[in-house]
Order: sequence, then C-alpha cells, then structure tokens
Amino acid sequence: MRKYVLLALAILFVAIYLFPLYWMYVTALKAGSEIFRFPPTFWPETLHFNVADVWVRLRMDRFLTNSLIIAAGTTTIIVAVGTGCAYALARVRSIWMDVAMFTTLMMQVLPSSLMITPIFVSFNHVGLLDYPRLAVVLAQAAKLLPLYIVLCRTAFMQVPRELEEAGLVDGNSRLGAFLQIAIPLARNGILVTAVLVFLLSFGEYVYSRSLIGERALQPATVGLQSFMGPNTSDWSGVMTYSAIYVTPILFIFVLLQRRIVSGLTAGALK
Amino acid sequence: MTSPQIELEHVDKHYGHFHALKDINLEIGKGRFVALVGPSGCGKSTLLRSLAGLESITGGTMKIDGEMMNGVPPRRRDVAMVFQSYALYPHMTVKENLTYSMRLKRKPKEEREKAAREVAEITGLGNLLDRYPRELSGGQRQRVAMGRAIIRHPKAFLFDEPLSNLDAALRVHMRKEIRALHDRLGATSVYVTHDQVEAMTMADHVVVMREGVIEQAGAPLDLYDHPANRFVAGFIGSPAMNFVEAAVTEAGDAVALEGYDGAVLPLGRKLEAGRRVVAGLRPEHLSLGEPDKSQFRVGVGVVEFTGAASYLSSAGEPELTVFHAGRTEVRPGETVGLTIAPRHVHLFDPETGRRVG
Repeated sequence: MRKYVLLALAILFVAIYLFPLYWMYVTALKAGSEIFRFPPTFWPETLHFNVADVWVRLRMDRFLTNSLIIAAGTTTIIVAVGTGCAYALARVRSIWMDVAMFTTLMMQVLPSSLMITPIFVSFNHVGLLDYPRLAVVLAQAAKLLPLYIVLCRTAFMQVPRELEEAGLVDGNSRLGAFLQIAIPLARNGILVTAVLVFLLSFGEYVYSRSLIGERALQPATVGLQSFMGPNTSDWSGVMTYSAIYVTPILFIFVLLQRRIVSGLTAGALK
Repeated sequence: MTSPQIELEHVDKHYGHFHALKDINLEIGKGRFVALVGPSGCGKSTLLRSLAGLESITGGTMKIDGEMMNGVPPRRRDVAMVFQSYALYPHMTVKENLTYSMRLKRKPKEEREKAAREVAEITGLGNLLDRYPRELSGGQRQRVAMGRAIIRHPKAFLFDEPLSNLDAALRVHMRKEIRALHDRLGATSVYVTHDQVEAMTMADHVVVMREGVIEQAGAPLDLYDHPANRFVAGFIGSPAMNFVEAAVTEAGDAVALEGYDGAVLPLGRKLEAGRRVVAGLRPEHLSLGEPDKSQFRVGVGVVEFTGAASYLSSAGEPELTVFHAGRTEVRPGETVGLTIAPRHVHLFDPETGRRVG
C-alpha cells in the first residue's frame, strides 16, 4: 500500500515538474485560435505542424549555428585545459591541492549575472568585444571549467594508481602513462562531463545576452528571447522554436544517462 | 657467485618526517631469489618500489648491474614488476597486456605475436589471449601479470605480494609455480611478502625487515636456526616461538625459567652466572614426555588437533605452545613433562632483544 502511495506521489511531482515541457510541445502543435481558448485544451484538436515555416521565418539556422559554435568552442577549451588539471588534482595529495580544490569550487558558486560586469569591463579593455562569440566562449569556459575539473577528478580517482605504475615499469613515460592508461580508463567520465559542458554552453544565456550585441551573432537562447514580449501573439511560433531547440538536447541527455549508468558498472578491476 | 646484480648502500627514504627506510645495505646476486619479509609498515614495499623507480630514495646509492640508479625513471631500469592487485590494463586484451612493453618499444607485430604465444605457453594462458582481464579468474589474472613481466626478459623481477589476493589452496600452488619459473628463467627475483612461510619456502635468501631496518638477512634455515634477535626469532617459524624470562644459573651452564618452578634447562655452553635473559623455545622443539622423566612440568590448558599434529597450550603464565607431531592422549587439566635439547634453547637480551650465547 505504502509503495503505491509513494509511487503516486512520485508521478504527481514528475508531472508537475515536466508540465512546462509538455505545454511547450502541445502549444507548438496547436493552431493559432486554439492557443488562446479558455478553458485550455490539453491535447490539440487539430495537429498543426509549422516547423519548417518557423525555421525559415525566425532564422533559426543562424541562431543554432551560433549556439553550436559557442558550445563547441567552450567544450574544446575546457577539455583541453581541464583534463590535465583534473588529473593532477586527483593524483597529488597535499594541503595545497586542497586549497586549489577549494578555490576551484568557490569559483563555481559565483553567479554569471554577478560576474558579467567585471567580465564586460575587462573584455572591453582588451578589445575582446570585437569578437563577441569568442568573448562568450572564454567567459563560459571560465565559468564551467571548475565543474568539469571537479567531475573529471572523480573519474581519474577511480583509475587505480597501480595501473599507471605498471605502465611506467613496462617502459612508458609519465606523460605516456597519462595518455595511454589514465585517459582511456577515465574516458567515460570525461566524455559524460564534456557532453554536460556542451549542453550547458548550448543553453547559455547571460553572457551571450550581455556580450553579443549584433543580432547575426546571437545564439538561439538570446534569439528566442527577442521574440517574446508582452505583446507577443505568435505563441505557436515561439513554442515551435523552443521545441526545435530543446528536442536534440533532451535526446542527447537521454543517451548521456545511459552512459553514466554503464560508466559506473563497467571496468571494475577485481 | 658473480658480482651482485643489485647493490644497495646506505639507502634512506623519508616521507616528510617519517623515516621509512633506514640505512639499508643489501647485495643481491645474479639469479638469486630474495624475499623481503616483515610486518606491514616495515618498509619492504617501499624498498621494492624504490628498486622499481616508483619511489625516489632520499639517501644512499642504488645500483643495478653496476649502474647507478638514483633518479633513473622506471622505464630505463629494465626491471619488471608484478603488483599485488595484478594491475592488468582493463581496456586491453590478455595479448595486449602481455605485449604492451613491446609495443612501447615499437617491436614489429610478428615478433610481438610470437613472444605472446611463447609466454602464454609458459604461463598456461594458451587459449585466453583474446580475453579481457575482467573475464579471467584470480589465478588467471595472476598468470597474466607474471607473463607481462616474463615477456620482457628483465634484469630483475620485482614481486609485490603477488599471491595475497588468491585463496589458500591456489596460493600454495602458485608458490611452487613461481619458484619453478624462477629456476627456469634464472633471472634475479626480489619478492615482497608479509607471509614468512612464503618467504621461507620460495626464497634462497630472506631479508627480515622491521620499521625501516633490516633485522637480519640470510638463508631461510639460518634465520630459523640462528635468529639474530628476538624479533626475527618470533617472526620466523609457525606457530611462533615461545619466550620465557629466565636467569642463568650459578654454574653458568643452564637457565632457570621463571614461572615454571624447577624448570632448569641445560645449555651446553657457559654464560655469565646470574645474568637475566629471555629464553626462546620453538613449539616444535619441545617434546612431550612423562612428568618425572622430563626437564620440567607444565599443566595443560588447551589441546588442539589438526589431524596430522596436535598443539598444546600450557595453563601457566607465561603460556607455552607445544607442537606434537601426530596425536596425543593428553587432555586439558593434566600435567605433562617437557624436554628440549640444549642447542634449541635460544637466549636473548631482555633489553636489546639481541641474541646472547
């Protein structure tokens, strides 16, 4: 009995939590007049697909390309810089490493909206605002690097030290052991974290909004915002836009979930 | 014996304030099988890892084949190591594990295949070459770890407690196998273990360590027959040696055991009269007899049978353990007589623990 009550509660909370997502998809599929009807309908009476129309009309190709550039750039920088750092933090144990770790974590809790002012001022000084997408990539990389390091460090800590030592004795250099043994074995963790960083950067809003003035360079998040306002009537268009933007993210996330689970169970040593 | 293959002189190792190895001096001849044995934390693993180059020593010199090894990275030392956890690369097949060192040296594929087959033959891994480590049993993993070392034909094999993850029966089996392999390959082996039985049965030279110091080094039976101090005497041999406080008699040719009235053991050698000592009596050297025809008498507290042998524990303080081959009719509560040959009475200084006389 108790089991069913808990299950019912769980379903209720999930339903509340996922309602906006559901509403987005449903609204995207409704025709213009049905959207404003009261009481609202929970399933569209006539399915109304306007994906192609919205894609062209709202210049989504341009926005999504910008989003992809920002996300890919951020992920590349973070993986290149953060992996070695995470490894070092996982392997060397000392009070200074703890200090470094603490500082890293502290940077993680500073909100973007607070950081944007000093970032804007300093980027302006060095002329980075002339390359607004690069500026967003740098700011976003700085923002997410701590998260990446902390998560990757855990992945490296699960690789037994003895494996690298065996590699060293077998004739590998320190760097070789890192590249050929530590990285392949921490691969799942690195991959999952990198995808997470990519998705977070794909949905980045605050930095893009502040640093990119030119409309042609804005990512999808900022672009979407510009279509919304008190007088918006094209709800169907906005919701379709959102659905197009969110669906691939959800899809990747479902795949990512599987990898997390398999990453936890595979590769046990003994 | 040719010139030593491994030479350690005044080797010191500090971890911060912790002094892990204190003035270690050791020579290991070519083709020898040396066991480093001691309780956990005695520095035996640290010494082995220093030999491999995984730890740097903070003092002294370390030579392999006459070449100075201080500060030389592991890959330039030409030693192979078998780890306690086996440390097989989980993302590589058995064959890839075996030939990893050859791949690093960019040996051609045919040569690698040939070497892998040879080693698989030696270690009995014939049909497992394409498996992954996770698909192998403990004993098979152990063999892969050995094979990975053998394939390199190194100057020395370093074993870090390689058998401690195996169950008892397999351990006894692998013990013989490793020794046989050593004899066949003729390479120098350094073997770390906390199990003195492993050390005694496998090695031709045993180094007993405690708290970063070599307590005694020598042939296994030498350590058993002539332990240099109380620690070695208690560590080598199972069940452990009995220690009883005693005093040398007026005549100087016998010791009187304390706590055992009238227990006077002749020594067959002269010592300073009245000197206080600790007498070490191995359980297997105490023979049971009629109370009135023996050197001294003890009350029996516990009798244990293993089938092949019996173990008696005395009721008195300090407790004495007696090993009796075969079975005995003696029951707890009875009194038995014990006799020990003079040459089997070991005497140690109560303060320093050093062997006397």
